[in-house]
Amino acid sequence: MIVAELAAAELRRRLTGPGLRLRLGPVAAEIRSPFDVVASGLALLYAKHEVLGAADFADFRVAVEPPFGVRRFVAPQALFKFDGSTRFRPLPAAQAFPLLEWGLNWCITMHCHQYLIIHSAVLERHGRALLLPAPPGSGKSTLCAALVARGWRLLSDELALVELDGTRVVPIPRPISLKNRSIDTIARFWPDAAIGDVVPDTLKGSVAHVRPPADSVRRALEFAVPAWVVLPHYEDGAAMELAALPKCDAFMRLVDSAFNYSVHGRAGFEALAALVDASDCYAFTYGGALDEAVGAFDRFASS
Amino acid sequence: MKSDPSWRLVAPDALVSRSWDDELVLYNDVTGDTHHLSVLGRAVMTMLASHPSGIALAALVRGIADDAGTSADDELVEVVERTLAHLAELRLATPVSA
Repeated sequence: MIVAELAAAELRRRLTGPGLRLRLGPVAAEIRSPFDVVASGLALLYAKHEVLGAADFADFRVAVEPPFGVRRFVAPQALFKFDGSTRFRPLPAAQAFPLLEWGLNWCITMHCHQYLIIHSAVLERHGRALLLPAPPGSGKSTLCAALVARGWRLLSDELALVELDGTRVVPIPRPISLKNRSIDTIARFWPDAAIGDVVPDTLKGSVAHVRPPADSVRRALEFAVPAWVVLPHYEDGAAMELAALPKCDAFMRLVDSAFNYSVHGRAGFEALAALVDASDCYAFTYGGALDEAVGAFDRFASS
Repeated sequence: MKSDPSWRLVAPDALVSRSWDDELVLYNDVTGDTHHLSVLGRAVMTMLASHPSGIALAALVRGIADDAGTSADDELVEVVERTLAHLAELRLATPVSA
């Protein structure tokens, strides 16, 4: 069963009762929340994800709930809880769905140390993985959404899960997070995209999420082989440029982008080295012409 | 060259490295640090690795010059000395005590 097959009342019953258990690639999460914006966000953005039964194991038990006391009623807030303990500072209740997404990212990066985890979008063509490691503001998610819109398979918008032998990237397809101007940009570029509510005034500005394609979710157990590492850099109005990047430079950027590199020590080094060995590395500058950008990626994917 | 000290790697067994385009990245188990070394840094590390008990500076410079097909002039001595000092700061190389 997938989320879209759950009646709205049943979705809410699970969220306010025993929890909604979802398969998220290699992990499973149990989610509880009384907030309507969480229920509607899950219904839209996780519509194609598999719903697990009460007897299925959940790696993470999370909740997005209001705090006790007056904050339930005055300027309502939302708390993220992991195994019953509050994590992070409370956010306005209107930000409950982004808070869930950020909390799930935290769960994965803090606990899935069976992988080397890189802050990177990952896409796939012909079984080969394209990594887009980049800091916020680099245009990573915009580029990721544009590539997905034109047929690249989404493995992740945010977290590259690399097996420790460095030879495979594990999909964890979840909604693509867009910020500020990129929300309208992708809405125009991908008119069929299912985009959730725009949530203004978050720490990251206005945010909205895009539903991953059903095909990407269905194929979450199909790993991909590292093939390309591309460091994107968005610069308003800049001419597009795809330039070869020395592998040592790419390696050090990946070290900087890996959440748990230090956890793994030598094994992390070996995993990244194998990944870079297997990949062509580039620096990519673009100025907003998404069709042109996607075309550049399509060309090297077909070469 | 005022003196001719010998140099060696601090902990060769603790190092794992990978080289691309004549540059080197390496991980040091002892410090937990990852380093990116230039062409010259790689050349010095390679030479030190092949002399576990230490190699005199003059011989080190000569070896690097031979590999690069150049001459072991004062300029090369100076940059190799600078590189060794940098590697010592990174706790990768150390002078051999007499």
